[in-house]
Amino acid sequence: MRLLPISAAMFGAIALSACGPQDSQKGAQSAHQKINTNPYPSTYKVLPRQTTLITNATVLTGTGERLNQTDVLIQDGIIAQVGTDLTAPENVQVIDAKGKWVTPGIIDVHSHLGAYPSPRVESHQDGNEMTNPVTAEVWVEHSVWPQDPGFNKARAGGVTTLQILPGSANLIGGRGVTLKNVPSVTMQGMKFPLAPYGLKMACGENPKRVYGSRTEAPQTRMGNMAGYREAWIEAQQYRDAWQSYDADYEAGLNPKAPERNLQLDTLKGVLDGDILIHNHCYKAEEMAMMIDLSNEFGYHAGTFHHGVEAYKIADMLAQNGSCAALWADWWGFKMEAYDMVLENVAMVDAVEKSCAIVHSDSENDIQRLNQEAGKVLYQAQRSGFDLKEEDAIVWLTLNAAKSLGIEDKTGTLESQKNADLVIWNQNPFSVYAKAEQVFIDGAKVFDRNDSAYQATSDFLLGQQ
Amino acid sequence: MRHIKTGLLAGLVAASMMPAMAATTLIKNATIYTQTAQGVLQQSSVLFENGTIVQVGDYDGSADTVIDAKGAIVTPGLIGTMNQLGLIEVDAVSSSADVGTDKANAAFDPSLAFNPKSSLIPLARKGGITRNVVAPTYSHSVIAGQLKAVNLSGELEGSVHSEPVAVVSYLGASSEDSRAVALAKLRHQLEDLQQYLTKKKTDEDAKSDLSERERVVMERVAMGELPLVIYVDRAADILQVIELKTELGVELVINSGMESWVVAEQLAAANVPVILNALAALPSNFDSLNASLHNAQRLEQAGVDVIIAESGDRNHRLYQLRFQAGHAVANGLTFEQALSAVTSTPAEVFGLTDVGQIAPGKRADLVLWSHDPLDLQGAVEKLWIDGKDASTQSRQDALRDRYMMKSDMPKAYLK
Repeated sequence: MRLLPISAAMFGAIALSACGPQDSQKGAQSAHQKINTNPYPSTYKVLPRQTTLITNATVLTGTGERLNQTDVLIQDGIIAQVGTDLTAPENVQVIDAKGKWVTPGIIDVHSHLGAYPSPRVESHQDGNEMTNPVTAEVWVEHSVWPQDPGFNKARAGGVTTLQILPGSANLIGGRGVTLKNVPSVTMQGMKFPLAPYGLKMACGENPKRVYGSRTEAPQTRMGNMAGYREAWIEAQQYRDAWQSYDADYEAGLNPKAPERNLQLDTLKGVLDGDILIHNHCYKAEEMAMMIDLSNEFGYHAGTFHHGVEAYKIADMLAQNGSCAALWADWWGFKMEAYDMVLENVAMVDAVEKSCAIVHSDSENDIQRLNQEAGKVLYQAQRSGFDLKEEDAIVWLTLNAAKSLGIEDKTGTLESQKNADLVIWNQNPFSVYAKAEQVFIDGAKVFDRNDSAYQATSDFLLGQQ
Repeated sequence: MRHIKTGLLAGLVAASMMPAMAATTLIKNATIYTQTAQGVLQQSSVLFENGTIVQVGDYDGSADTVIDAKGAIVTPGLIGTMNQLGLIEVDAVSSSADVGTDKANAAFDPSLAFNPKSSLIPLARKGGITRNVVAPTYSHSVIAGQLKAVNLSGELEGSVHSEPVAVVSYLGASSEDSRAVALAKLRHQLEDLQQYLTKKKTDEDAKSDLSERERVVMERVAMGELPLVIYVDRAADILQVIELKTELGVELVINSGMESWVVAEQLAAANVPVILNALAALPSNFDSLNASLHNAQRLEQAGVDVIIAESGDRNHRLYQLRFQAGHAVANGLTFEQALSAVTSTPAEVFGLTDVGQIAPGKRADLVLWSHDPLDLQGAVEKLWIDGKDASTQSRQDALRDRYMMKSDMPKAYLK
């Protein structure tokens, strides 16, 4: 397929100019085939919003700062200003937040809401295409049931953004999708505009158990590694084929486009740097191999999810620029989850350039991610870590946004970021804390004291 | 790199270096949640000797060991229920799981498999849990087996209470058969047994369908001496099982009960306690469409006794029972109601008459807390089971310490 790559690239450069020797050949070219990278685009629309001034709050900015008795001005859906004694513009809604705390909206990087919804009936088991160890062709967004009552419960817990991932039965399980946690009749109506896609990979026990029990590959951890490598070899060939095609086309030739392959489209997207890896991986030695694997094939290993042993290789994760999305204390359900320590998140966080995240992977814990982070915070304080509330909020906001590639849009209360934020009745890391009001893009989407802002799923409406 | 403070950890270790076992121990200057009619005692004392509480309240005398609580809170040890702590190590390792059997009946005693040395138990102690009621998991049988109480001292001998505290049955939604079948089987077993017991008074040759070993347990259930715990969620099903109590006179306890609040008045009228997960807010199936975070609050308001139990990962993370109680406070229980739901109420419901309260004559299962025991900042400072110091150091702590230490040698050499 690859024809004269060097000269093809040169021709390509020339072809960019308005005229050239290729002009005469253009008539002979078929239409340039391109992979549509966004065939199910976001139709998200901001809910009705107004200019809002929140006054006198304790503000955790998500950048590691704590600001006392501070005001936050929301205008046109973005954070306009954070400071003291801000002047209220005309027609502003003022919220007196004395004694209350304000944080960025919580971002859960690991959820199965909509794909494994409540109720967990047979007809709703849409989270994992367990028919082949590599199902990079499936997109979990095509399984999302927007009426899952769990979305509303998560919103009441301050979750404004969440990534839905496929399950972990497969080595490569398919694409994840990042959603804004707004009620919608369609998945597209929740889709976070311009958020990159994620790709779910899984290490360890799940793939080898699911396929090994059918006497299929993989049956072992070495079988897992072989499976990934075979998939990436194919992906490289596919990527190269498209590069040759594009180069030849740019060179004025009339090459035949490679045959589309949904599975390889996604893997190519990873090799091109457009799709971010989200890797279910518990153990230190396996995460280390997954980093080597990414280097072998030229992509970034992305975020390690669950990482019960992340504390054993915290330096390695930080050096690789990999986030670790972790539970506060889940353990013991499998051998690979046996070496839990309650300070895992704090130990990962303690390393320079780290990216520690608290995630849920649970329709229950997503309702209380603030308190999951609180468990880590106060346990780590007792163990001697110099951590404060302003540090812990980063695990739920900025670092999660980094993992999802949306940190330029949300995850902190910095000026010009999307006004995704939560007003808490008190320190959000207390067991007694509750989200009182939740805003997405400056629009109020939840109010604990106003039923007009409490969404109910179609499924639960009218049930007795 | 963030600074790691070492002073705090060292201080805590020193604080726990008290003499191991003395004849008398006095905790003074404590805020004592007695869980009795005495209520909360400020700046007060509790004295215990050889595992038994001797005195609660003002005490001017001396003791072999004196601990100044400096105003901190002392509660009874917390009581876990409806879990398989000590019966399982790793869920996906079948050889480590002894949690139940499909061939169960009332003679099945899961505590014969109880391992006081399970790595899960020290972590549960970190949550202030001193005593626990283990229950067998789901079984297709009418009766899934016995509930047994254990202490969490970790001692090889004497950890398991000898008598069962209840038997358990699983009803409600089933993917295999009509729920009516299981309910009818349970009812028939109880009715047959009561007929047998009546007959036996006049006929020595009366026969029961149950084996001798099942019968001795089920007789106590049929006579209302031993509670029958029924796992059920749907409001209509709860009313069905309340009828078992009103018609047959059995002592009934609802477990899970996600829709209990819907029939709170009926539960209160029949004096049926409910064991629940206070965090259950989403329907798991069509039996729990009315799941609500206010379940516990509404039951308490109606006068139903509430026990809070872990139900998700009820074994490996049993330690967070107290946090669940805290969430229940955030959703409408009073602090003392929530504390009762993990101390005195489970003790009362399961007939553990010598624990769950701080009063003279009770076992010295006590916890001294650093802060509010139900909040995330709170932690166990000291814990006693039957008057003995019990450590909260767990395998997790050992792993943490190993990986926090700096060494030129591989971590494997750091112990």
